[in-house]
Amino acid sequence: MSDITKDAAPAGEVDPALLEILVCPLTKGPLRYDRAAGELISDQARLAYPIRDGIPIMLPDEARRLDD
Amino acid sequence: MTERNTPPERNAPRPAGAAIEAAPEGAASIGNDSTIDFGFRAVPREEKAGLVRQVFDSVAPRYDLMNDLMSLGLHRAWKSAFVAAIGASRRETLLDLAGGTGDIAFRALEGGAGRVILSDINPSMLQVAQGRALERGLAAGLTFLCTDAEHIPLPDRSVEKASIAFGLRNCTDKPAVLREARRVLRPGGRFHCLEFSRVEVAALAPLYDAWSFQVLPRLGARIARDAESYQYLAESIRMFPDQESLAAMMREAGLERVAHRNLSGGIVAIHTGWRL
Repeated sequence: MSDITKDAAPAGEVDPALLEILVCPLTKGPLRYDRAAGELISDQARLAYPIRDGIPIMLPDEARRLDD
Repeated sequence: MTERNTPPERNAPRPAGAAIEAAPEGAASIGNDSTIDFGFRAVPREEKAGLVRQVFDSVAPRYDLMNDLMSLGLHRAWKSAFVAAIGASRRETLLDLAGGTGDIAFRALEGGAGRVILSDINPSMLQVAQGRALERGLAAGLTFLCTDAEHIPLPDRSVEKASIAFGLRNCTDKPAVLREARRVLRPGGRFHCLEFSRVEVAALAPLYDAWSFQVLPRLGARIARDAESYQYLAESIRMFPDQESLAAMMREAGLERVAHRNLSGGIVAIHTGWRL
């Protein structure tokens, strides 16, 4: 999926019901869904969690640091 | 709402929870703050998750076949009994932790659960699960989530049922997993654990030992070409807390009316506890 560029959901479709309730695993605070980047962003933890093949990867070790 | 603001205690001291009586002499003694069991070895706490991940990356493609061989097919009966015990209804959401290739999630959906969140720390296991779900025509009500069971990305009181089958022994901080499972349960929700336990039928013990330490690693070497991973799996089974120790750990995590039931003479046990 990652090499295909689509307008709708570049990183695969995530279950919308899951998106609604997901929180940051570290802070338990809210997440922002960046649909274009296929990322779930925790502003409090300064981490962007990737979505791969429609699966949110909620692991801090796999997340992109926002400071970078 | 108070729980939501509690930061995870990553480096807090932990009780020495694991029972090690079943381990052979020379097995790693565990329980201090800097090391943890990885099979019979003691490894630095921060290394266990990565080591476990390597094991499951390695075994993922043949995991289901190996489960059948390793348990002589018994794991199917254990899992069916487990899902029946969970009894998730059409109106309920089940969070399955360390759900791997989907055995519990699929059975729960087929058994009438309204919604199942299949979670695992290992993306390769979830990819296998996605393929299996397609083959079985399961889509409605099924959601995939990659997470560490010690840090669940769900709000407090968000699901009716939580489960972990053959997963807790691979977690570094078992009390943290139990606390997190309780946190995400709604009041009146129930947690279920299926895990290897302590054989309580004496006649079974020698046979079980020979099977675990002679046959399993060889099966792993022949079928999966990975003796080390299956050696770890056999060892980790013996390092897991016995029935009473796990029940105590669950009470410590705030779960109530904790109970357990042995299957196959205690080779495995189903533990349950409520959030009230």
